[in-house]
Order: sequence, then structure tokens, then C-alpha cells
Amino acid sequence: MPECRIVLRNCGIVDPASIESYRAHGGFQALRKAKQLTPDQVVQEVKRSGLRGRGGAGFPTGMKWELAARSPGEAHYVICNADEGEVGTFKDRYILQNDPYGLFEGIAIACHAIGARTAYLYLRAEYHHLLGQLLRALKETGDAELGCHIEVREGAGAYVCGEESALMESIEGKRGEARYRPPFPPNHGLWQEPTVINNVETLMNIVPIIQNGADWYKTIGSGPCPGTKAFSVTGDVERPGVYEVPFGTALAELVVDLAGAVNVKAVQVGGASGRVVPAAKLDTPLTFETVLGAGAVVVLDASRSMVELATQNVTFFAEESCGKCVPCREGNQILLHLLTTLQQRSGKEQDIDALRELSEVMMISCLCGLGQAAPNSVVDTLEHFGDEYYSMVRR
Amino acid sequence: MGVETDVVDIILNGKAVQAQSGTTILQAAAANGVAIPTLCFHRDLSPTGACRMCVVEVARSRTLVASCHTLVTHGMVIETHSAKVLRARKVIMELMMASHPDFCLVCDKANICEMRALSAELGVGVPRFRAKKRFYQIEENPYVIRDLSKCVLCYRCVKACKEVKGANLFSMARRGFEMKVVVDDDAALDKEVCRDCGICISHCPVGALVWRPDRFRKPTDSARTSCRPLVIKG
Ligand SMILES: Cc1cc2nc3c(=O)[nH]c(=O)nc-3n(C[C@H](O)[C@H](O)[C@H](O)COP(=O)(O)O)c2cc1C
Ligand code: SF4
Repeated sequence: MPECRIVLRNCGIVDPASIESYRAHGGFQALRKAKQLTPDQVVQEVKRSGLRGRGGAGFPTGMKWELAARSPGEAHYVICNADEGEVGTFKDRYILQNDPYGLFEGIAIACHAIGARTAYLYLRAEYHHLLGQLLRALKETGDAELGCHIEVREGAGAYVCGEESALMESIEGKRGEARYRPPFPPNHGLWQEPTVINNVETLMNIVPIIQNGADWYKTIGSGPCPGTKAFSVTGDVERPGVYEVPFGTALAELVVDLAGAVNVKAVQVGGASGRVVPAAKLDTPLTFETVLGAGAVVVLDASRSMVELATQNVTFFAEESCGKCVPCREGNQILLHLLTTLQQRSGKEQDIDALRELSEVMMISCLCGLGQAAPNSVVDTLEHFGDEYYSMVRR
Repeated sequence: MGVETDVVDIILNGKAVQAQSGTTILQAAAANGVAIPTLCFHRDLSPTGACRMCVVEVARSRTLVASCHTLVTHGMVIETHSAKVLRARKVIMELMMASHPDFCLVCDKANICEMRALSAELGVGVPRFRAKKRFYQIEENPYVIRDLSKCVLCYRCVKACKEVKGANLFSMARRGFEMKVVVDDDAALDKEVCRDCGICISHCPVGALVWRPDRFRKPTDSARTSCRPLVIKG
């Protein structure tokens, strides 16, 4: 299946440094069309399109907007999550670099839909080099054209600040740690006001949906997952990069046909917190119901050790845990210890049982998605490549 | 079932009972005679959700939910002591014990330590997991002795100082395993930064914060005029 570009429609076509170029390619028409509709009509159109959040969880965007629009508050806010912290993803960066105006237009439509005057674009600290370009583009566009004010806030380099509640704490100037939920952001978000928080890629879908209608959008993709998904493919492939394919495309088409992977042993879909798919299951369709996450696809060939993969992922989470809750703060430390012991060939068989039990408890008891997803690769590699673990046990 | 009646129907451990709407699962369970263990929660303070000790099973929820900060809703089906819940609590306690120093025999709070009582209740003895521990210098000011090696990062001192006393002396710093409660910009607690209210001490569930035993003694001349060296105990 070839690529299908909706989200990346302007990448390489519109000059990202020229608003005139964006206008010449139909820029801001969707915004003008949206302004002629009532906010509720916009919300209903997005709801009907079946668009789901691309930040990882796949929550229906229209429903999120509706909840926020109907929730009373002194002010409403829209946040564009450009923290892109997941290991191996760079699709949001690709969009920010190549189509900033398209993103601003999507944000402006979201503001119109929920009645927000201010939007925040939370930019990953490592993307500081994009700040100048974004600010210039924002200044050029102007608040009057957008009908709202977009403020760029830079992160400080914490992965957990991509998590919606920690991100809001960070914008509020506090320590980046997760809040407990409920209450959810559409009711009590930024400064406890109704807030919609969406990923960059999610918001990039808004312009085409408003322009072409929900019915058109639903013809693309697969059943409960309409539209396309942008993937960042890396690892043992010949052509790493960003690929946009319709939902439901088989994993093999993405990594083998498009990216040119050979001798695949496993693919981790969704970054460090993603699921590990063994080569035998490469026909898995890419949907939120199977595997997906934020769209990082890391291909591992036959030379890679699965225990090493799990160890590297857990090292990342032990470093990035915000430290608030016990199962994540202490659990990742212990997972790492158990994995390292195994790798040093001094682990026992009970250590593998402990890995399993600890992973299960972390997945159901941690406060936020970081800790809940941290053991994913341990659990999956244990299931599909258990022999590798047992062969490391000290005999 | 009128709107004005502030009561919701829930099913608690298989029994249909009623709860005040707007209360947490923890409160609703207590009102119905079911005790759920807690550690970071304290009735004087706003809920934190840090220790995850009070997790319970709620039907149709993907994960367990912490009962101290989750409100009851109409028709909620709750299991407070299922096998799944008990196992999670036990593992969480094992994790907490794994990094806790083995000082219980010489700890000032030994017999009133909430963590020790809770681990006994959950049947956690010597923890299965062995990894790093945290070691910090013991700090003293004229009133308080603080041993962060014993700190379980429950936020209770931070919140007690802020919410009860209104003083905001403490905050959390660093992340992951390195997280710690700090004063100022991670300064040592060796100066008279606050008066002798002791709110943080009475809210500390473990032996990380204790009174200085000699706090009522009149300072000697030498103590008044010179800075005393740090005394390392324990
Ligand atoms: C640990 C963690 C990290 C996350 N990092 C990001 C991120 O970098 N970018 C992002 O868009 N969403 C991230 N998310 C998901 C957000 O919490 C949130 O669900 C998302 O921004 C909602 O937008 P959406 O509905 O458009 O997907 C993260 C979630 C967790 C638990
Ligand atoms: S799961 Fe980890 S990152 Fe999330 S709140 Fe708990 S300690 Fe922080």
C-alpha cells in the first residue's frame, strides 16, 4: 500500500517560512469555513468524523471537545502537546518543521469550537531550535487571523511532562508530576479550567476534516480508527523516516515494504512504552485496538537481544519516572536491578517470576501512564522470547 | 432516587450499600465499616495519591483505582480486598521496604511507625527485592531531627506545613529514585528555619522526622554564640 498523506499534506509542498505560500495552497480556508459554523457544529463534525487522539491513547477527539465546550469555567484553554518525548518518535517534529501554519489553523479551529481565547503550544525542550521559526510564523500569522492567541511554552526536558496532567503542572510553573484523575482536563485542566489537550498530529487532522467533511474522512482507515497515522520508523531498516499510512495497514507493509527492513526479529511499536511484536505476527494491522501508541516503530533484527531491549527501556523509565508514586519510582528501580542481574548471569529463576509479578502490579497500580506502561516491553519479551531470559539464569 | 437526596447506591464487596455523594471510596467504605489501608493519606490533608496503598478494584476500570482520591459514583461496584488488590498492596509494601534502611531496632518511631504496622498487617516480612537504598546525612535544627534515609516520600510533611501551618517550608525536588523533600534550594535543615510547631513531625508516618529530645533545654553560652557541629546519630 502506498503512503496516504493527510496529516503531512503540506510537507515539502508549502514553504514553511512563507505564509504567502501557505495561503496560495488553500491556507486558512478551513478556519474561515469553521468560523461560519457555530462552535457546536464544528464539535459535531469532528465527533462524527471519528477522529481519535494520536498522542497514544486514541481517545475520541470530538467527545473530548464536547466535554470541554459544555463544561463551565471562567476561561477555556486549548493545549497542543508538542512534547514528543516517546523514544523513537519524530513525526511531530517533522510537522512542526514543515507545516507550522497548518498546525496553527488546527489549533485556531479547536479554540473556536470550545470557546477558548488562549492556546498553549508545549514544545519539547530538545526542539528549542524550532522555537525561532515557530515564533516568527506565529507573529506573521497574527492573533486577528487566528481569532485566538497561541503562546509557546518550552518544556525542561522531562519525558513525564508529555503526560497531560504533568504538562499542565509544568505550564502552571510547578514541578512536572502527574495529577490524579478524575477530575479530567475537559472539566478541570489548566488552572483548573476546562481544557482540551491534543497531540500535534491530532490537530493536523482538523483542517482536512472541516474542509472535506466527516463523511469523506470516514472513508479512509479502518472501522473504529478512521484516517491515517504518521509513523516514525527507525532501527534496523534501510529507509528510516516518517511514513503516513491509513489505519489498518499491516505492520509488515510499513516496516518491510516502505522502510525496507530485512531479517526482522521483532518490532517495538509505540516507543519505549510500546508493545513488542515478534516477526511471526508482522501481519498485525495497525490500529488502536491492536498495537499503536504514539507512532514510534523500532525494528530489531536477528542480532538483537530482547533482554537487552527490555533493560534499555526500563533504564529510560527509571530515569524519567517523576518519583511521585511508589510502584513506578521503586518498581522501575527493582525491574532494572533484576534485569541487570540476569544480564550479568547471576540471576535466579525466581527473579524471572519476580519480574513478572512486579510488572503486573505496576501496570495496574501506578498513578499515571508512565508507570503503567513501563513494564510493557518486559512483559512482551517474556511472553514471546522467554527462552532468552531463562538461558541467562545462573545454573 | 431523587436528585436532592445526596446519596448514591454502590456495591461494596458484594453488598448493596449507600454512600454520601461527593465522598471518596475510602470515606464511603469507612462509613460502611470497611477499613482500607492507607499511608500517604492523612485526614487533615488533601489527598495525594502517591503511595498507592489504598488501591481497590472498580468494575470496568482498566487499572485499580486509589480510593483516597476517587469519588464514589452511582452504581459503582467496588472490591476492597480481592486477591488482586491484596497482591498489589503487598508488592507495593515490599517495594517500599526494599529501599527502607534496616534501622527499625534503633528508630525513635519504631512502635508508632505506620509503615511497620502496615507491613505487619499485610504480612510483609523481609522483602523479596533487594536493590539500592537511600542514604543521607542526618540533619538537625533546634527542634527537629530529620533523617531522609527513612523518608518514604509520602508528601505528608510538605502538605502539613503548607495546608495546616500555611508555611510552605518543604517541597519536592529531583525525580525518580533520587526524589527528595527539600528545604529552600536543597539546603540542610540545620538552621532555625521555622518555630517549634512540629506539625510535620506529627504527620510523618515513619521515623524521618522526630523531635529533638533536648529542645526544651536552655541553650548554653557556647551554643548561643557559636555554630554547633553536626551530630551524627544512629
Ligand atoms: C508518560 C506519558 C508521556 C506522554 N507523552 C506524550 C507526548 O510526548 N506527546 C503527546 O502528544 N502525548 C503524550 N502523552 C499522551 C498525553 O497524556 C495525552 O493523552 C495526549 O496529549 C492527548 O492528546 P490526543 O487526544 O490528541 O492524543 C503521554 C502520556 C504519558 C502517560
Ligand atoms: S507512574 Fe511514575 S511518572 Fe507517573 S506519577 Fe507515578 S512516579 Fe510519576
